[in-house]
Amino acid sequence: MLKVPLESHCKRICQAVIVATCMSASMLTTPLHATELGYPEKEELTFGFIKLTDMAPIAIAYEKGFFEEEGLYVTIEAQANWKVLLDGVIDGRLDGAHMLAGQPIAATIGYGTKAEIITPFSMDLNGNAITVSNEIWAQMKGNIPKQADGKPVHPIKADALKPVVEKYLDAGKPFNMGMVFPVSTHNYELRYWLAAGNIHPGFYAPHKGDTSGKIDAQALLSVTPPPQMPATMEAGTIYGYCVGEPWNQQAVFKGIGVPVVTDYEIWKNNPEKVFGITKAFADKYPNTTIRLTRALIRAAKWLDDNNNANRPEAVKILSQSNYVGADYDVIANSMTGTFEYEKGDKRSVPDFNVFFRYNATYPYYSDAVWYLTQMRRWGQISEDKPDSWYKDIAAKVYRPDIYMKAAQSLVDEKILSKSDFADLANEDGYREPQKHFIDNIVYDGTTPNAYINKFKIGLKAGDKL
Amino acid sequence: MTATLSKKTVGAQPMSIKALFTAFFTTKAKAIILPSVGIVCFLLFWSLAASSIDTSLGKFPGPSAVATQISNLIDEHNTEREKETAFYIRQEQRNQARMAKDPSYEPKTRAYTGKETFLDQIITSLLTVLSGFLLAAIIAIPLGIAIGLSKNLNMAINPIIQIFKPVSPLAWLPLVTMVVSAVYVSPEPLFAKSFINSLITVTLCSIWPMVINTSFGVASMNQDWVNVSKVLSLPKLVHIQKIVIPASIPAIFTGMRMSLGVAWMVLIAAEMLAQNPGLGKFVWDEFQNGSSQSLSRIMTAVIVIGLIGFMLDRTMLQLQKKLSWDKSSAQR
Amino acid sequence: MSIILDISKVDMVFPTPKGDFTALKGVDLQIKKGEFISLIGHSGCGKSTVLNIVACLHKATKGGVLLNNKEVTEPGPERAVVFQNHSLLPWLSCYENIELAVKRVFKNEMTPAQMTQWIEHNLNLVHMDHAKDKRPDEISGGMKQRIGIARALAMKPKVLLMDEPFGALDALTRAHMQDSLMEIQQKLNNTVIMITHDVDEAVLLSDRIVMMTNGPAATIGEILDVNLPHPRDRLALAEDPEYNRLRSEVLTFLYEKQRKVEAIATPTKKQKQSDVA
Repeated sequence: MLKVPLESHCKRICQAVIVATCMSASMLTTPLHATELGYPEKEELTFGFIKLTDMAPIAIAYEKGFFEEEGLYVTIEAQANWKVLLDGVIDGRLDGAHMLAGQPIAATIGYGTKAEIITPFSMDLNGNAITVSNEIWAQMKGNIPKQADGKPVHPIKADALKPVVEKYLDAGKPFNMGMVFPVSTHNYELRYWLAAGNIHPGFYAPHKGDTSGKIDAQALLSVTPPPQMPATMEAGTIYGYCVGEPWNQQAVFKGIGVPVVTDYEIWKNNPEKVFGITKAFADKYPNTTIRLTRALIRAAKWLDDNNNANRPEAVKILSQSNYVGADYDVIANSMTGTFEYEKGDKRSVPDFNVFFRYNATYPYYSDAVWYLTQMRRWGQISEDKPDSWYKDIAAKVYRPDIYMKAAQSLVDEKILSKSDFADLANEDGYREPQKHFIDNIVYDGTTPNAYINKFKIGLKAGDKL
Repeated sequence: MTATLSKKTVGAQPMSIKALFTAFFTTKAKAIILPSVGIVCFLLFWSLAASSIDTSLGKFPGPSAVATQISNLIDEHNTEREKETAFYIRQEQRNQARMAKDPSYEPKTRAYTGKETFLDQIITSLLTVLSGFLLAAIIAIPLGIAIGLSKNLNMAINPIIQIFKPVSPLAWLPLVTMVVSAVYVSPEPLFAKSFINSLITVTLCSIWPMVINTSFGVASMNQDWVNVSKVLSLPKLVHIQKIVIPASIPAIFTGMRMSLGVAWMVLIAAEMLAQNPGLGKFVWDEFQNGSSQSLSRIMTAVIVIGLIGFMLDRTMLQLQKKLSWDKSSAQR
Repeated sequence: MSIILDISKVDMVFPTPKGDFTALKGVDLQIKKGEFISLIGHSGCGKSTVLNIVACLHKATKGGVLLNNKEVTEPGPERAVVFQNHSLLPWLSCYENIELAVKRVFKNEMTPAQMTQWIEHNLNLVHMDHAKDKRPDEISGGMKQRIGIARALAMKPKVLLMDEPFGALDALTRAHMQDSLMEIQQKLNNTVIMITHDVDEAVLLSDRIVMMTNGPAATIGEILDVNLPHPRDRLALAEDPEYNRLRSEVLTFLYEKQRKVEAIATPTKKQKQSDVA
């Protein structure tokens, strides 16, 4: 057990030394007169987004003039759903978009529409939550231990939901829940939470043509576009959902549901959205790609600057009808570091939305690998793959090289300081083994197959449906 | 003589006032008063009903909420125009700076990238509906004339028309979108793909009433006029130009009015579904936003959509009155 | 006088869903130049069919029509038609209705100025010059028919075909129109075939009255020569014994020899006949 991580640690240290030497050398020898970043090859761009608060870096880069300062004239368009958005990027209607981290990966491995999509920029950490309807909340509340002040103890585990689901199943009623897309973070987070509480969320079997993800399922998950989540739950079609903000807080404000758990509690500082472009775009317009990454990095930094001091202004921008468009108060709830669970149960979650801290913008290979492990766990990847395959795919989709060029040029031009990217000088793209999961299972991105085998519910090495 | 006359007038006066009053009341005033009464009743009913409907987004918007939104939307429009001016000034400065650095650079002016306001969306929708409708007319009227003139052609094409006529725009849209994105490939497109998508969807749905009415008008043309043409041995083209087209103008206009109504309804639906710019997108975006203002903004859009639909129909009617010889067909 | 129009052994058979319907059988008639012929008979006897065959709006099943010894196969302005329902194009003014015909017929023979003059001449002839810019729906039925006649005359036809031209008019207007027609005929001496229901009209206007038997398989029953001198005056003729004799001959033919007994009893058949006629 110990051997694998040790080996990778050695390798990582070697890599780190090399990278560090090169980086520091380049920084020292070529300070300001480094090859100046050229003008963008393509200046008029259209970016798509889904109405979620984590699209903020795009809105801020536009409103604060970061795009324009890069010579980019960007039009920002809301998209109906993730599928439309992805198709838009693939067919060129959109030059780039706010994407679910799973989307570029799934597109590259050919789950769904096959296309080479890359990401030079990770948009945020955390920001999602799972909400259940009032009716379900009333039934599961009794199963949750209470604090001294009478409020439920957090994090709430799916164990509390398990008896409710069983009651529904015994009564012959399907237990339906909503998530936003088959390869969305939300799907994997909801599955993770349910499975950690012994509720089976179902398998996919694409090789048999079954992409509904309901094989062996106790909770039936289906796709609903984020902004329609509250309305769909209100209509009784689903009993709960996992979605990004402001659609959980919207349920509280409308009084139609109760958020039970945030993804911060499921997996502390989990990677969320990425900025996706096609590989063809990045190859054809290298300067444009670097420049848009620069603008997004600056926007993300602005969002987290001075301990979230700019967040109220950001919320004001996001509440404009052409961006997220929800009421200021709804968006402000999560964006300014608080999260309201049951009505009145407002708790401080300062890291609910992280845009820049903890290297949030850096596209870590290990993040990509985590999504691949979950795709394998739930059968979206139907066959075993060697660890090297996970690595190769991650390197194909996640492009820290572009990110580093953008960061370097920002430092060179003294727009941002070197200290903003301090840790990245030694980065090999794989995070240290991560421990903060709701089920306490440790994730090490360098050993994906070993990680998959740790789960009680889910496909393991050698399993095929 | 004078005495009788004055007596008559005196006697007649109350009568004539009453008669005048009745006459006044039955004609002109009726045309103003009755609709006004209708509208006032509707507004009252609306505000009463609105205040008693609670949704998860607050109360259903009443007339005053809509009025507020109208002024909000106009304000937003003006703000956006100011931002637009600032955008062009910044761009000009940036171009100047780049020219100073690189004299060979040819400055370009890029279009404003900001959001489309409600008024912009209205204009977009109007342009789209009119373009789609015109395209439909250009195809439908000649086709309708050909079908009306030839029984064989009619028998050949009629099944196709009958099958496609009832198809909802929502069914066409995915196909149109995919085909347009496959076929309409150009590095510097003259029109946006979304515009082409909406336009073709509108055309596909609004073409049928025009084809059907035109062909019906042509086929049921007064046989005597055909005989006149025969006796004059008019050549085919002159026959179509001098006899067929004028004769079927009333039917063509009836078809055009129906088509324009269909086109407008279809466009809003298509814009909603495809997120193509226009009033439909405005409604959908507001629905997605789910803010406390969303419902009243949607209600505003609903009223504006209705008013524009009404206006389009009236315009068509005026055009018909001007161009058609058959005044009786243009009275409804 | 020479024969200008020869209707030669014409049969007309209409196919119907219930089998063939023979409308005309062996219609044979020769018309001299300048002759005014009336076709009279009960409705549904195929009078209009005869006229339509001459105009080539229908094609005879057997036999044919010779105009100046040449067979006619297509409709043409040399056989101008005045239709029962005037058939003016409602989107054109009176002037333009005639202009359409004149431009078509004389496009190679007249200058625009001559055309204008010719159109106005014909409007004058039917006393309609005051209404030349009016649309057909702005003038009375009689006026419309005058324009219809002017349009036909303006084509300078070799034979003028009139299909119950005054049938839709009230009695007074009809009398006026008849007088006008006589006056024009006096000037132009056209060859005319006129269909009519009206016995007085037939006797008053015609040189010969062709009386048709009832259908099916209608044909020419009798032909009556009208040798009353021109110009004729309806008031004077009312007392004229020859006029009255001719009138009673026609009436006898219609109401004794060809009495329509089944007119009400079998309406469906009548319907069918009038449809095809």
